[in-house]
Amino acid sequence: MTVAVEPQADDLVLSVREVKKHYPIREGALQRVVGHVRAVDGVSFDIRRGETVGLVGESGCGKTTLGRVIAALADPTDGGVHYNMDGMMSRIDRLEGKAARTFRRNCQMVFQDSFASLNPRHLVIDLVGRPLKVYNEAVSADLVERVVELLEQVGLGRQHLYRYPHQFSGGQRQRISIARALALNPEIIVLDEPTSALDVSVQAQILNLLNDLQEERNLAYLFITHDLSVVRHMADRLVVMYLGKVAEAGETQAIFDSPHHPYTRELMSAKPDLEADANVEVRGLEGNVPDPARPPRGCRFHTRCELATPACGWEVDDVVRWLEDAPGMFEHLVGVERKTDFAATLAFDSEEAAGLLSMAVRSEQVPEAMRTAMRRLSLDGDKVEIEFEEVGEIESTVRGDGRVAACVLMPEEVASWKNM
Amino acid sequence: MLDAKHGGATVASVRDLKVHFQSKRGVVHAVDGVSFDIRDGETLGLVGETGCGKSVTGRSFLRLLPVPPGILAGGSVMFNAHAVCTSCEGTGCETCEGTGRKASQDRSVNLLGIPSEDMRRIRGDRIAMIFQDPGKALNPTLPVGAQIAEVFLQHRTDELIALAGLPADTVGAVRRFASQSPRFGDGWLLSLPGVRAQRRRVEEALATMVAGALAETQVPNPAKLMARYPHELSGGMRQRVMIAQALACNPDLLIADEPTTALDVTVEARILELIRNLQQRRKTSVLYISHDLSLVRRISDRVAVMYAGRIVEIGTTAEVFANPRHPYTRGLMAAVPGADTPRGKLAAIRGTVPELVDPAAACRFCGRCPYETGACRNNDPFLEAITPSHLVACFIDHPAPSGERPSYDRATA
Repeated sequence: MTVAVEPQADDLVLSVREVKKHYPIREGALQRVVGHVRAVDGVSFDIRRGETVGLVGESGCGKTTLGRVIAALADPTDGGVHYNMDGMMSRIDRLEGKAARTFRRNCQMVFQDSFASLNPRHLVIDLVGRPLKVYNEAVSADLVERVVELLEQVGLGRQHLYRYPHQFSGGQRQRISIARALALNPEIIVLDEPTSALDVSVQAQILNLLNDLQEERNLAYLFITHDLSVVRHMADRLVVMYLGKVAEAGETQAIFDSPHHPYTRELMSAKPDLEADANVEVRGLEGNVPDPARPPRGCRFHTRCELATPACGWEVDDVVRWLEDAPGMFEHLVGVERKTDFAATLAFDSEEAAGLLSMAVRSEQVPEAMRTAMRRLSLDGDKVEIEFEEVGEIESTVRGDGRVAACVLMPEEVASWKNM
Repeated sequence: MLDAKHGGATVASVRDLKVHFQSKRGVVHAVDGVSFDIRDGETLGLVGETGCGKSVTGRSFLRLLPVPPGILAGGSVMFNAHAVCTSCEGTGCETCEGTGRKASQDRSVNLLGIPSEDMRRIRGDRIAMIFQDPGKALNPTLPVGAQIAEVFLQHRTDELIALAGLPADTVGAVRRFASQSPRFGDGWLLSLPGVRAQRRRVEEALATMVAGALAETQVPNPAKLMARYPHELSGGMRQRVMIAQALACNPDLLIADEPTTALDVTVEARILELIRNLQQRRKTSVLYISHDLSLVRRISDRVAVMYAGRIVEIGTTAEVFANPRHPYTRGLMAAVPGADTPRGKLAAIRGTVPELVDPAAACRFCGRCPYETGACRNNDPFLEAITPSHLVACFIDHPAPSGERPSYDRATA
């Protein structure tokens, strides 16, 4: 499969276009909206028939939210998911009546926690048979046979029909979830961390099963996971998300061979294979994922990126973040008066503290890129005025071979780093 | 029996440990005859799948098992606490790797047999534990500083009083304050002007010690972190707090029960590096419990593979990973998706983990093993050495009593 070729319209199952999902933050007695958590903030990719798209990222990067938007369990704030309905691409949140039902039966979901997603009071036959009943596919004796057929496809049998979810092991419960998702013969299944609660030996069984089913039924999968070894095994194409945005997307093998985004590289080097040299030093990422309610300007990864350049969007928040971690500094900060995100006046309670800060941001204590990006730094009594180069959002660029990456660096610069 | 001849003192030795649980369907043999040693300063990785008994084994070191329904059905966990090194008298020499202390046999105690009072003294001080889910293991109603302080109050009262610059025979109420054992009327006593000043000095000394313990885990700004509640911290930060708490008293043995399972890979690598650094610096022995093979390979000196309440293979990390001998170990390794595994061709282990209710005297991997023979169904294999440091419980490497011997060439899958 080549990605460079413009996909045929009938080849597409889903097309995700600039999807945003923001959740309001409410405060006070009147529950006024004071801000938004930008869980998903402009994500685009396509899913074609019979292929597996892997969606990876750390927890809190918005991958599950995006999965829910795609499965129409949540409406996007902006942008839309387009579904190929008989050759016509239609936005799923605008579908009505029969069309909406057609989409819903063609897009199913398997959740991570099979304890939470299978009703403990229902028997397996009710759980797996429910979609068939809802869509009037089968009744009575026919229904039982259809359910048995589905159970057999996922490696269970007739003897399991009249049992409750708690009587099964984790792997078996996940098989029941898969059988339920298969009941209406969908085109696409959103798999939200289907194996992360399972042991490796059971995970292997489930991955093999998913692959067999895909070959049999030409299913498309959206495989959401944080486990890179699983996604490399399963996915044809990969979408790497960071803080609600796509850091990098492209063919799985190409991305694993040469990641174009430092974040992808960090993810890959954090978890080496069983076959890899055991003595290679593994370093994770410094710091936390920033607050998605106030995502960093420029490239969202610049706060943790070792390769960050002055053009990555350094801003006032970076100084404040540095102050929070510096011992005995944050207590002296009394106010931040922002002109823009890139320029502000920081007021301290003493001239000494202000002096310390202006010394610190000129020294090795802050990244060199941040110092270079600083356009102005002036000390005036107990106030420090700081201004950074204004940088717009780092947009995703197409890199050939259908690869998309949102990084200002050239691929070679990322590749030469860490000598993978 | 196991590896005494390899030199090096052992900090703990588990012998034929049996922990059973009473259930409605019968007695579950969760841990059924486990023996291994943890040597001084080494990291022993304990791997296995859910329900194989690895956590129960780890918890039995600290007697954190619910009894009942748990039944300590037999065996012992001998613990040799560290004492001042005999050859250098605490100044640091080669035999104790410069720490001035080493495990001493003559202070050996059976952790399963000692009175609760003694166990309390060991728990958190000589043996500490890091739990899987820091969100559940930390108290949500206390700032993290107060939770780390508890360790010092329980185990380091004398140091605390000395650090506060108070005489050893200080006021009883202050002493009781510094050991977290208040009596009726202490509140009033501590509010007296002179005593209040002493109490404040103890509190300051305590804050210094807590900040010191937190600084060890490379957290930015420990003084600020101390006042935070667990819910205000990220998962990685909470796990650092728990590590600081566990290592506060410089324990001889650290039980790490899946400390990174709840974390992201990027954070996991950081935490792992931290545990390894601290362990190497302090020469603490670590029992690292995990289900993640690649992780265990990176952190351990030796590995024990558990299956259904038994250790099926134990050896140095290099031996076990380069030459796995037990079919279960091989199965586990093959099940991890690798770079070159063709899709849909993952070598899954067939079947599921057996229920451990009154197990028969047979190899517990029977029914899932592709190489099993009649001998496996009638005899119970036990750990036997194939190299001096590599032990396997399988008839493939040492014939069954009947003389019958399965082989890797003859798969009956």
